[in-house]
Amino acid sequence: MSVGKEELFKELSDAVVNMDEDETVLLSTKVIVDGYDAYEAIDKGLADGMDRAGKLFEEEEYFIPELLMCSDAMYAGLDVLKPHIKLDSEGERYRVVIGVVEGDTHDIGKNLVKIMLESAGFEVFDLGRDIPPIRFVEKAKEVNAKIIALSTLMTTTMDGMEEVINILNQHNIRDQYKVMVGGGPISQRFADKIGADGYSVNAAEAVRLARKLVGGAA
Amino acid sequence: MAEVIFYPQNKSINVKEGTTILQAARNAGVIIESPCNGAGTCGKCKVRLDRESLQKVLAKGKHHLSEDEEKQGYVLACETQIIGDIKVYVSENQQNSTLKILSRGQSFDISLEPLIRKEYFIEENLTKVFAGRNQLGMEVGDTREKNYGAVVDIGTTTLVVSLVNLNDGTEIGTSSSLNPQAVHAQDVLSRIKFSSDAKGLGIMYSGLIHEINFMIGEIAFSAGISQKNIYEIIFSGNTCMIHLASNTSPEALGKYPYTPKINGAAYLSALQHNIDISPFGIIYLPPIISAYVGADIVSGVLASQLHKKKGITLFIDIGTNGEMVIGLNGNLSAASTAAGPAFEGMNITCGMRAGKGAIEFFEIDKHGSINIKVIGETEATGICGSGLLDIVGELVAHGVIKKNGNFVDPESTNNLYPALTERLVKQDGKLTFKITDKVFLSQKDVRQVQLAKGAIRAGIEFLLENKGVKVTEVDKVLIAGSFGYHLRGKSLINIGLLPKEFDGKIEFIGNTSLSGAKAFLLNRTYRGRMEEAVRSVEVLELANHKDFDKVFVKCLSF
Repeated sequence: MSVGKEELFKELSDAVVNMDEDETVLLSTKVIVDGYDAYEAIDKGLADGMDRAGKLFEEEEYFIPELLMCSDAMYAGLDVLKPHIKLDSEGERYRVVIGVVEGDTHDIGKNLVKIMLESAGFEVFDLGRDIPPIRFVEKAKEVNAKIIALSTLMTTTMDGMEEVINILNQHNIRDQYKVMVGGGPISQRFADKIGADGYSVNAAEAVRLARKLVGGAA
Repeated sequence: MAEVIFYPQNKSINVKEGTTILQAARNAGVIIESPCNGAGTCGKCKVRLDRESLQKVLAKGKHHLSEDEEKQGYVLACETQIIGDIKVYVSENQQNSTLKILSRGQSFDISLEPLIRKEYFIEENLTKVFAGRNQLGMEVGDTREKNYGAVVDIGTTTLVVSLVNLNDGTEIGTSSSLNPQAVHAQDVLSRIKFSSDAKGLGIMYSGLIHEINFMIGEIAFSAGISQKNIYEIIFSGNTCMIHLASNTSPEALGKYPYTPKINGAAYLSALQHNIDISPFGIIYLPPIISAYVGADIVSGVLASQLHKKKGITLFIDIGTNGEMVIGLNGNLSAASTAAGPAFEGMNITCGMRAGKGAIEFFEIDKHGSINIKVIGETEATGICGSGLLDIVGELVAHGVIKKNGNFVDPESTNNLYPALTERLVKQDGKLTFKITDKVFLSQKDVRQVQLAKGAIRAGIEFLLENKGVKVTEVDKVLIAGSFGYHLRGKSLINIGLLPKEFDGKIEFIGNTSLSGAKAFLLNRTYRGRMEEAVRSVEVLELANHKDFDKVFVKCLSF
């Protein structure tokens, strides 16, 4: 018996929130079998689930392990649904270049932000860690990114973020990119000081910030 | 210019308008706790202003203050700019005068064989002072009786000096104090950043030397000893501290690949470094293992004889950085992990250092009522690291905190003691655990503990796995450091910082940075041996392991 479309998407969203990978795969398969639109299922099911997980994270109900388990479920569902996306339905996704600044190798926070941005529909180019400032700019140009996201855990390396902004200014391309920053020693004040476009305290808020920076929906 | 007066210190200073209160305090030599070094992220630097003064500042960063605090006139010192004459009240939590500092550590049978040797030449009536075979200098008359050395444990937060009679190995006296560098920058990374230019390095270096001289002078004076009869000093401390103490830029420690500029195992001239002992006195720096496993750990290895122990022994120093060394029949491997400042009571809503008013012990009895011990036996004003681990550990053990770190919902559970359920109260819509009327634990605080203990546990898991050792095969676990000394094994296991298989194998060995340094001082042969041992230590860079993320995340749960 076939449940209604909206109901199925809701169940899919719930499965992600409940960290249930098997159920997510099962429901994703059902979406295909029942002939519903894969893109819509991702948007209203998987992404919606991650959005809710992000909210729970912000409310301190979920912590990093839960968030990661939700994302495991989401990615498993994505593997099922992605091959069935009709080419034109995806639309244009905003691109984000992300990485940990030069001198720092701590990337757990960056990885979380990456997951949350991806699940919110951004196309994320992950440069990795210990990344020289110029590489962020080069990559952003190359892929025509909208956002450059910089992360660091160490007080000693945070000045590299300002360097990225300096390079953008020198090349007169500052207004083509939004720069967002985050990490342990980073604060809103620091973001203001170096002229970044935004700071977010955690991965869930980073999604909201990124959406705001590109002007509404991702 | 604006005049700022700090109370209760009653110190005043004139500063330019736009200066922050924190900056003014630093200039005036008033200590305001600032763990994040004024980044505006920790909220620990709050001070109170009277109504009139509030009109003469620009205050930001209010998100770290509760509504009540705001009403009472609290502002964050680092985020508040001065625009007129003000009076600043530094809260009592900020007073570190009662801080607990540990000046004892495990040691072993040390045979007396100091580097410093004195020989009296009767015909010339001269006493020659030797360092090994090298003659350091001469003194008129027979001064053989007066032969002293000192060790300095340079902690990031605290300093301990011990003065020792080199003729018989006895301790003359000890002195402890706060590391004056902490006024400018609290944690190691902030200190590296502060010292990245010549001016900053100069402030760090001279401040430290000045304090060490003062402390040595204090002990010498009360023992009736002349500082001129102190001939050798051992500096023990983490890699950054050793850099700063020897006026070496620690900049490279703050950036990958984290390469120390100096590796210890070296002698310096006391005179050149303005250390006020014999003019021909020397300073020995023990060998350093890596940027984040320093001379303090090498001293600890020596003091605990880890490099000689049969079987499998794990040595851990729990602090802002968790340093760990595993010895497999004397073969050593080391690692360090960034635990963050939670264990020092920082980043915790009611967190504070282990000073007066801090809850240092917490227990739930069999009726569900709680017992606490407060440093100074006064009313509790906050929670220090050991108290924090006790609290979280007990709450986990009694089901108040779930495996995933969440508080249980008091409305949907009936497995708890009513006395505990009552303490789960909502503040600003979020569950907190009330300890006293003033002191509570928030969900966010539990998260901080999870992150800190997860980092150390992940380091342990990694070290063991890398060596192919099962947790059950570990024979002995040594917890070093003055913080560790105040912890209880039960709490460490309850929160999962240590695997439960370690139960019964844990030993707290105290300040082995100091006791190991003393061993270096009293027997010169340990120096060469440890230098050799350090060369063969394998250092695991955890961040470079692909799976470290996964292990870390797994270790976050209780």
